[in-house]
Amino acid sequence: MSSNVRHHIVIGSGVAGNQAAETLRERDPDSRITMITISRLPFFNRYDLPRVFRGERDWRRFIIYPADYYRRNRIALRRATRVVGVDSTAQTLTLEHKETIHFDSLLVASGAGAYLPEDMSEFRPLLHGFGAFRDAIEVADALPKKGHAILLGGDTIGLDLARTLLDTGHRVTLVAGPYTFWPHEVTPEERPKYVAALQKMGIVVVEAQERGGIAGVEKGAKGLAARRITFGNGSDLSGDVVMPFFGVAPSLDFMLGSGVDIERGLLVSPNLRTTNENIYAAGDVCQIWTDSEHRYCFYHGWKNVRAMGELAARNITGANEPWVPPQDETLRLSKDGKIQSPFWEYQ
Amino acid sequence: MGNMPFRPDAAAASAAAEGSVFVSDDPRAIGWVKQNVPCQNACPAGTNVPSYIRSIVESHYGESYEVNREANVLPGVLGRVCSRACEDACRHGWPGNGDPVAICHLKRVAADLKDAGHRITESLYAPTGKRIAIVGAGPAGVAAAHDLSLFGHDVVIYEREEKPGGMLRYGIPEFRLPRNILDTELHNALRLGVQLRTGVAVGNEPDQVRVSQLLADYDAVLLATGCTAATPIPLKDEWEKREPTEVPGIEYGLDFLVAMHRGVKKSVGKRVAVIGAGFTALDCARVAVRLGGEEVTIHIRTAEEYIPVTQEEIFEAKREGVRIKGLRSPMKFVLDAEGKVAGVEFAQNRLGGWREGGRRIAIPIEGSEFIEPCDTVIIAIGQQTTHDFSDTTLQLDRWKNARLGDNGMTSQPGVFAAGDYVSGASTVVQSVGHGRKIARRIDAWLMGRERHRQVVSIEPVAKPLRERADDFIPRQHMPTAALGKRVKSMACEVEAGLDRKLAAEEAKRCYLCNLRYQIDVDRCIYCRACIEVAPRSCIKLVGGVEIGADGTYGKLIETKEWNKIGAIWIDNNQCIRCGACYNVCPVKCISISRCELTEVEVTA
Repeated sequence: MSSNVRHHIVIGSGVAGNQAAETLRERDPDSRITMITISRLPFFNRYDLPRVFRGERDWRRFIIYPADYYRRNRIALRRATRVVGVDSTAQTLTLEHKETIHFDSLLVASGAGAYLPEDMSEFRPLLHGFGAFRDAIEVADALPKKGHAILLGGDTIGLDLARTLLDTGHRVTLVAGPYTFWPHEVTPEERPKYVAALQKMGIVVVEAQERGGIAGVEKGAKGLAARRITFGNGSDLSGDVVMPFFGVAPSLDFMLGSGVDIERGLLVSPNLRTTNENIYAAGDVCQIWTDSEHRYCFYHGWKNVRAMGELAARNITGANEPWVPPQDETLRLSKDGKIQSPFWEYQ
Repeated sequence: MGNMPFRPDAAAASAAAEGSVFVSDDPRAIGWVKQNVPCQNACPAGTNVPSYIRSIVESHYGESYEVNREANVLPGVLGRVCSRACEDACRHGWPGNGDPVAICHLKRVAADLKDAGHRITESLYAPTGKRIAIVGAGPAGVAAAHDLSLFGHDVVIYEREEKPGGMLRYGIPEFRLPRNILDTELHNALRLGVQLRTGVAVGNEPDQVRVSQLLADYDAVLLATGCTAATPIPLKDEWEKREPTEVPGIEYGLDFLVAMHRGVKKSVGKRVAVIGAGFTALDCARVAVRLGGEEVTIHIRTAEEYIPVTQEEIFEAKREGVRIKGLRSPMKFVLDAEGKVAGVEFAQNRLGGWREGGRRIAIPIEGSEFIEPCDTVIIAIGQQTTHDFSDTTLQLDRWKNARLGDNGMTSQPGVFAAGDYVSGASTVVQSVGHGRKIARRIDAWLMGRERHRQVVSIEPVAKPLRERADDFIPRQHMPTAALGKRVKSMACEVEAGLDRKLAAEEAKRCYLCNLRYQIDVDRCIYCRACIEVAPRSCIKLVGGVEIGADGTYGKLIETKEWNKIGAIWIDNNQCIRCGACYNVCPVKCISISRCELTEVEVTA
């Protein structure tokens, strides 16, 4: 391989990362592209995971691209590989097994993981996550037929799951709080109508604050449901699974100390470039400077994330175009009183 | 003890093998310890960390406590509130080695788990007849008083507050530092004849003691008054000249904490905005939670990654409900119709260049102002020194702190200064370390000579003190009080301390960097077994070595060509003291010696 062939590395194999790799291949046909992901599965549709509760348990049916896609597009896909550090000056990244790789351009599209508020962290072993295929299978295994799922927080990912759980004959209780409807910003005046819509869907809504906040999560007593939530006012709630849905937190531990600016996410300019000219970011991992709001903003949702992946790749390969969010982020009620989140429009 | 010659490496290895112990003041030996024991070198008090952790491995908690006390007289205090520069430097935290050893938590173990009847051992000098006045009973003043009393001087501390401890008592909340621990350690520090005059202010008021009078009455005066004035907050427009604390609901964090610890009943509203990024800001926010604040937010100029607070403190604050919002600079306050604070107007920041100590510059963006509603504002952006208590004019540095000469003395003969009064707002351990350092300067000035000097003791060690398996022990987590219980009480200590089992596991993680592994090249048969078994590239075939300015060995010049190999060398900077090389060596040409900085008495 000649030395003037550029090496693009993409960290993350989600919507943003794959869209970016595809665009990079189109715009820089001779380049070398490496995609590094901590996931064992190739690119799968994370938004489609609720299908597990409809009986779809074959991981192959969640995979987006056919098996030879990466080979055909000459994208070296390195699965189950953890990046532990990035040196922005030397333009290298280090993998967990000590391998160091040089890059000409780096796109960080590592996404975000479920955020668990710090005061809930001690209960983590008793909670069921929902970020990966294996998580979804574990929840499905733990939830009996007509079982009772308790959702904490209630972001749009959780509410989307709730729709499926209700459709499949499960009971759903939402312990609501400030994260309900995240990332939509719902005013206190609007909130009651959306909560009423949830109840109309069949979700039992419990306002955590009215019960003195969540005091604990524990194993249920023998013969009773597997989990018990206690509240500050002494009341409790039992269910088969307890799942936290408090929004997401960027997955960027490996970028700490890299020399790239970070606040909550990687800080990027409107062209998605970080404070290092060779490093870009796209998707849930980045905060984009938004002139109209005079602040760094997160943009979530499948359409936004895909557009970010494409834009970052375009700018890596010579364009210098600004970010324009393609997705309306407004939460709405339909005429028949159903909640409509644009983040659910992924199919 | 007189000077002893430094013995070259090979001789040291030989001596180790023979079982002899000797001391050296050769700069190369001292330089080796400073270079290779990063925790001790980073500690402002110079605590011999590997030694006290080794004592914990052996369950000798009292011995561990004494090792700590040689460098700092408040191990139980600093085991709770230290800023942990040692952990930032810990070799176990270097890339590829995992997490740093929980050095601070182990310091607390030494203090908490020592026998109830533990006997403190200290060597006293004969009385000198010299009298020293110390102004301020904070960490610097107390540390200096302790050491000066050991030197045989008569020490009197003047403290304006009713109780000693300075910021330890009046600045740090009880849920981080229980007062019984503080009281015990202060008592132990001052028990060797130090007179403590509390409630006696040094100043220029008629009922106060003058510095000039102290200078006349004593042989030396040490000013250790700390940083007691809140740094004014820079604001915009009409707030540039307006004093924000005149507005109901706005207070400086230091004043807030001091008043509370003096016994004033404090209260906060439901929405509390804390402005600042240090330990004081975090303490104020956590106090506000305990006082009933329902929405407590810390507003910082940069981002969490760059603020000078330990991650554990940030995590515990968040667990208690404190939120941290970054990239914002306060511009002005918003008042309601009654003139009470109703919000803070911030400007959005972007990150600029780097400041000293890994911190970042924040640059406000014009036109990006926004308002955060609140009903209480606590400003905790820093503290500064004041000099209005002194009737003696001292030269100040550019930061308006007392300027010291090499002998630790201010521009006024006989007046010394220590701690935050010299450095500006720093940390407890820095104050303790500086107090101790200035005590030696005062003693040298009073006695006309140095009575202590630093040396390295080199002691043979028969075999490796660790096992390779110890390298895979994860950092042990500090147990904490239940969330529901702790936020209801100002006195419920959050960190519960490591028990014996957790302490033993954590202590085993320490690499014991004060152990020096060396190969006797004359006996080595170059079988390479040690290289094969080494978990890191710590054993090198070298053609030469760079020599540092002080004679210490620098970077090794490696070679793979057999005809250029001059020696086989253990790179102690890479070595994690696992002992694998020692165990595998067929000719036993590898020796281990314990190299520790210590002080010896200099006879007249």
